Amino acid sequence: MIIYLKLSWRNVWRNKRRSLIVISSIAIGVFFMLISMALVNGMNYQMIDNTISTSLGHVAIHKKGFDDNMKISYSFNADSGIYEGLNNTPGIAGWAPRVKVQGIVRSSEASQGVMITGIEPGKEKGVSDIFNYMLNTDGSEFLDNPAAGDVLISEQLAKKLDVVTGDRIVIMFQDSRDEIAGEALTVRGMFRSPVDSFDKYVIFTGIKKLQKAAGMNDRISEISIRTDTRDESTVVKSGISPFIKDPEVQALTWQEMAPSMMSAIRLYDAMMFIFFGIIFITVIFSVANTMIMAVMERFHEIGVMKCIGTRPLNIFIMIIFEAVNLGLAGMAAGLLAGTVFNVVLGATGIDLSLFSESMRIWGTGSVIYPLIMFKDIAAAAVIVFLTAFLAAIYPAYKAAKIKPLEALNYI
Amino acid sequence: MKKREQSSVIEIKGLYKDYNSDGLAVHALNGIDLSIKKGEFTAIAGPSGSGKTTLLNIIGGIDRPGRGEVKVAGKNLNGMKRGELSDLRLNSIGFIFQAYNLIPVLTAVENVEYVLLLQGADKKERRERAESILRDVGLERELKRKPAEMSGGQQQRVAVARAMVSNPEIILADEPTANLDQSTGSALLDLMRNLNKERGITFLFSTHDSMVMKRAGRLINLRDGRIVAGKK
Ligand SMILES: Nc1ncnc2c1ncn2[C@@H]1O[C@H](COP(=O)(O)OP(=O)(O)O)[C@@H](O)[C@H]1O
Ligand SMILES: [Mg+2]
Repeated sequence: MIIYLKLSWRNVWRNKRRSLIVISSIAIGVFFMLISMALVNGMNYQMIDNTISTSLGHVAIHKKGFDDNMKISYSFNADSGIYEGLNNTPGIAGWAPRVKVQGIVRSSEASQGVMITGIEPGKEKGVSDIFNYMLNTDGSEFLDNPAAGDVLISEQLAKKLDVVTGDRIVIMFQDSRDEIAGEALTVRGMFRSPVDSFDKYVIFTGIKKLQKAAGMNDRISEISIRTDTRDESTVVKSGISPFIKDPEVQALTWQEMAPSMMSAIRLYDAMMFIFFGIIFITVIFSVANTMIMAVMERFHEIGVMKCIGTRPLNIFIMIIFEAVNLGLAGMAAGLLAGTVFNVVLGATGIDLSLFSESMRIWGTGSVIYPLIMFKDIAAAAVIVFLTAFLAAIYPAYKAAKIKPLEALNYI
Repeated sequence: MKKREQSSVIEIKGLYKDYNSDGLAVHALNGIDLSIKKGEFTAIAGPSGSGKTTLLNIIGGIDRPGRGEVKVAGKNLNGMKRGELSDLRLNSIGFIFQAYNLIPVLTAVENVEYVLLLQGADKKERRERAESILRDVGLERELKRKPAEMSGGQQQRVAVARAMVSNPEIILADEPTANLDQSTGSALLDLMRNLNKERGITFLFSTHDSMVMKRAGRLINLRDGRIVAGKK
């Protein structure tokens, strides 16, 4: 078998120019495959991380139904069992209670429908990144007292409402008795997150202030949990669930809370695979074409090999090896180039601020850090290997079928 | 009678072969009876188109007999399966063609080794036998050369070495000197003749060159697919 590896490798280099063309076409295919996979991975994970860090959290404890209908009636009392769970489940980096109420914010200039989120400032820093997204211009600062009449709004919303730090705005919402409640709050600070929808629709105030204004007593809408890594969400969820005694209250992972984000990611992955399919169908044809030419050129030679006793299967294997050699050489070059490219750009990031508005809508931020993953490298390798193999089957079959007699007459 | 058959490497009785050329039947062989014994050095002579190649191809299991019986190394070729023919070619017959005998990407020694490899010899034995046979044909300095780096005469010598390395019953050579100049061709023939005399290797070769015919131990004249005269 080794002789056929040797033969096929030397045969590849008989027509250097032709082989190099095929090898580089495979390399370019692999290279673009890795780049686009890494870009999509980078975007997806940045979108996931941004969504988690702004609003979702890795795991959240809710009253059942809250996810579909964020009303005050879906609030609950966190009992000591839940707190015990939060303090004793491994993998939890931080947690914070929140009250969420849908309502309207108004200034003298404009109004906007928003999600009013009551937070405990100290705990919130350990869970979400709002603190990190704060602007520190014009006296803008984070909340400190959960009972104070302060509010944080995005820079974008401030513009729309035409307010600056220190101005007063009014929030209006349905309280726990389904009556319209209103509250005047002072803009304490502004933030700017990478997620457009978040900046448009979410404002923050102290949890105590909101509970009081809504007549909720100590009830909360959710406890948001940050896990050590995003992959631990399921483990933490099953760790915390036994501590929740109220059958109407449950823990959900970020995957469960954002099914549409997950299906968008899956759709994107599927589209990538269609794209790769197209790339590699062209690769199949270029390899097949090259191999057919190679077999035709060596018609006589293969005939001689068969005359002196080489079996058809061995000829078949030799031609398959030849195509696989082309594929592996192209793959090696493409993987190397793609990995280097992605590692470098993964560190520096690709600044897409030119398109930053649409990037913000997608929720990724304006700098994309390509993320190359081992499974993508493995997928590329397997695809190229299979492609080369498939492309070689027909030419190899043809070569195996060459009749020595015809080949001898053909010089 | 029985004894004679046993020492025959080739036994042919009433062999006919027709080709179909554009709907027209071409009678390439018209009733050949031939027996070749071990140790013979036989030339098949005849003008172009007389059926030399066809006869050698059938004996070598490259082409199929039409009508008639063909026995090589005691085995009847009629009705042999493709794989059996392949094994027969590998183990019992050595081939030397007119030109382009060798695998271009392999060196001289690798070309010779290739046959042994197909036969399943181990690496050390392969290398030793291939090198020693190449020395025997006078190519000790060309072991590592690829065919393109050797002259036509040297390439044919490698082909001779490859044909005999597997110790076949017979070596078939279809116009082995046709692509060589006079002196190179005659040197190749001397080499073959010496191998025949010293080691008893059986050769059957075709030619239309009178210089080559003169050196044959036995001459078979072909005309229009018939043996017209033989000399012993
Ligand atoms: N594959 C073939 N198809 C048709 N005719 C053939 C084929 N091979 C040989 N012939 C014919 O058979 C005859 C004998 O050919 P060949 O054995 O090649 O003669 P030689 O080798 O003596 O020149 C010629 O007339 C040739 O044209
Ligand atoms: Mg001929």
